[in-house]
Amino acid sequence: MTTVLVFFFILGGMALLGSVGTVASRNVVHAALSLVLALLAVAGLFILLLAEFLAIVQVLIYGGAITIILLFALMLTRTREGPVRLDNAQRRFALIGAGAAFAVLTVVIMVSDWPAPIDNPVRPGFSRISEVLFQQWAIPFEAASLVLLVALIGAIVISRPEKGERD
Amino acid sequence: MPEQYSLEYTAVLIITIAGIGMVLAAFFASMILAPRSKSEAKQIPYECGIPPTGQFWAQLHLRYYIFAILFLIFDIEAIFLFPWAIIFRSSGAVIFYEMVLFIAILFFGLVYSWKKGALRWR
Amino acid sequence: MFPADLYLLMPELALAGMAIIVILADLVLKRRDLLAPLSLIGLAVPVALSIVLWLKLDSIDPHALSGFSGFFVVDYFSLFFKFLILGATALVIMASRESVTRFSRFQGEYYALIMMASGGMMLMAAATELVSIYVALELSALSTVALIALLKNSRSIEASMKFLILSAISSAVMLYGMALVFGLTGSTRLLDIADRLTSVSELIDQPALLLGVIFIITGFGFKISSVPFQMWVPDVYEGAPTPVAAYLSVASKAAGFAVIIRVFFLAFGSLTDEWALLFAVLAAVSMFIGNLVAIAQKNIKRMLGYSTIAHAGFIMVGLAAIGREGELLGPGVESILFYLVAYAATNLGAFIAVIAISSKINSELIDDYAGVARRNPFLAFALAVSLVSLMGLPPTAGFWAKLNVFNAAIETDLVWLALIGMINSVISAYFYLRVIKTMYLSPPASEERITADLPLKAALAIAVIGLLFIGIVPGFVMDVVETAVGTLA
Repeated sequence: MTTVLVFFFILGGMALLGSVGTVASRNVVHAALSLVLALLAVAGLFILLLAEFLAIVQVLIYGGAITIILLFALMLTRTREGPVRLDNAQRRFALIGAGAAFAVLTVVIMVSDWPAPIDNPVRPGFSRISEVLFQQWAIPFEAASLVLLVALIGAIVISRPEKGERD
Repeated sequence: MPEQYSLEYTAVLIITIAGIGMVLAAFFASMILAPRSKSEAKQIPYECGIPPTGQFWAQLHLRYYIFAILFLIFDIEAIFLFPWAIIFRSSGAVIFYEMVLFIAILFFGLVYSWKKGALRWR
Repeated sequence: MFPADLYLLMPELALAGMAIIVILADLVLKRRDLLAPLSLIGLAVPVALSIVLWLKLDSIDPHALSGFSGFFVVDYFSLFFKFLILGATALVIMASRESVTRFSRFQGEYYALIMMASGGMMLMAAATELVSIYVALELSALSTVALIALLKNSRSIEASMKFLILSAISSAVMLYGMALVFGLTGSTRLLDIADRLTSVSELIDQPALLLGVIFIITGFGFKISSVPFQMWVPDVYEGAPTPVAAYLSVASKAAGFAVIIRVFFLAFGSLTDEWALLFAVLAAVSMFIGNLVAIAQKNIKRMLGYSTIAHAGFIMVGLAAIGREGELLGPGVESILFYLVAYAATNLGAFIAVIAISSKINSELIDDYAGVARRNPFLAFALAVSLVSLMGLPPTAGFWAKLNVFNAAIETDLVWLALIGMINSVISAYFYLRVIKTMYLSPPASEERITADLPLKAALAIAVIGLLFIGIVPGFVMDVVETAVGTLA
């Protein structure tokens, strides 16, 4: 188990580093790139849990598409000269809130008895996931395509110019 | 490593380490090899030789955001193709048509954004 | 299995299909005049299919059809909510003919998105599995985000962004809760969760389970606009197109309560004491905050926004009354379903009147409603009756709705909660009556008649007749509600 534990700490450290970088860095682009580090580290943690499909999703969707959307969104915003202040006076409350949430979650998760301990993960297998996804979860899966369609329509509704300004 | 972790991850690990190592090596090499001198001109963005105009940060028009959204949506579609690809031959026609419907709905989204003129790059 | 069960979800599938046809009609045929009738047909088809399913249920025993490996169920309960949501959507569409002209380039999208949202809500009411519930909830939430932004002015976009961000946060918290519950029970199916919780006794005492339940309440609390997840309501109601606000206040609330009843009854029946207490507290706080802040409002849409928070509180009194009974079915659930029907008719009446009046006088300020009674007696009367029903006075639907809820509370020894509810009804009378007083007693700013188009007047008449009908003959709806609740167990 120790090798796994070593990798866990390396990946966990990376995730932590990335997350702290995301909220603490003064440059928005650096913050976005730190987020990539955190997301990829989480993909590594999924592999440690033998959830390989999730790891692929994490890398392709989060490490890829979501990051691109983030960077794209940054380029859409107007920037002023000089460093931009990324936080405000509520920083302290945010810190307290996040700390409290972390404490509560940690205590609750540690105290509870979990029926399936995670120190011995089982590999579900790719084809097993496929079968479950396309047989049992068929309707939520198709509904997901409607969700995506609605998201696309919504994005166009919000970002298209009105009639007056010709595009 | 416990045996449930497949051996292939060793290869992934080696490639990761090698990749990081090569980038670090390149940085390190340029640190020791490259001559360096400081000047004002080095701080301005490079624009193929001519003096740069405007700010270094180019603001994109909002309408291009739709491309990023489209990319995300079809990325999600692609990710579902992986688990589908390995079983649709063995598990019957229903699963095949499930994915056809899924793609058809998203294809409708593509047609919609096309007709709305969201894909015109101007 | 999958394809054979598809007939169970025909109403939802038909609705989604019609939504796509509506967009195509706008995009390809470019016939704007066809959109509203086409959408109403699009709503009639699922209504007809739901009636067919209802008749099928009558002939089988028990009156429930479960399908898709137990992920969705068709019973009187889910069909009841399908009718409620479809009916509310139809009234909103009828009333929005004039408002839609303001969405110049996005008229087809308006109809399609509102139908998609309804499809999501109908799925929510039928889902008996956590992931399905989540996907259905996102379908309705994302459609709503786009609907709110349709006016495309800065207010509307800001409201839409607020809604998007808060809805994403509440969904994230809810997913965390679902993950905790899944981790403990090993299933996302509501019935399996219930089985595990009763067969493995030590699960009940796990703090993670309680935390999971609280997190799940967060997600649903956002949908029904209960305190403390109500921050978005006034801004969104003010910024959104008025028909969208009307739709949100009625349909979204109904779907939210349908899911809450389903999840907490089926899955967490063994934890009733905990969540009933939680809902009791949330109910009391929601009523007070909604009603007290509503008093200070000058904008009628904001006022109705706070009023909807207060009514979420009133309905949650029924939720609190469920749990204390020890047994699962009872007057609590029935009072909630009755309240939702009464509230749908009442609030749609109020909102449709506001759509008609505000678009003509070009103002949403209550003060500008001065003398509306003289400029259009029908609209003023309809708004007045709806407000009386929101207050909870006879002979309107609101009276019986509140009576049932408070009755359920008293029967389950929640006298304090019923008392708080009554105090709040009195507080609410103040700001509702103020609008009526302004309309009837203040002198009008101009004598010009306020006109409304025919479909809007028809929708308004349906809502007002509905709320008066329920107020005078509550037995009819009560019977339907009892049938719907009967299949829940």
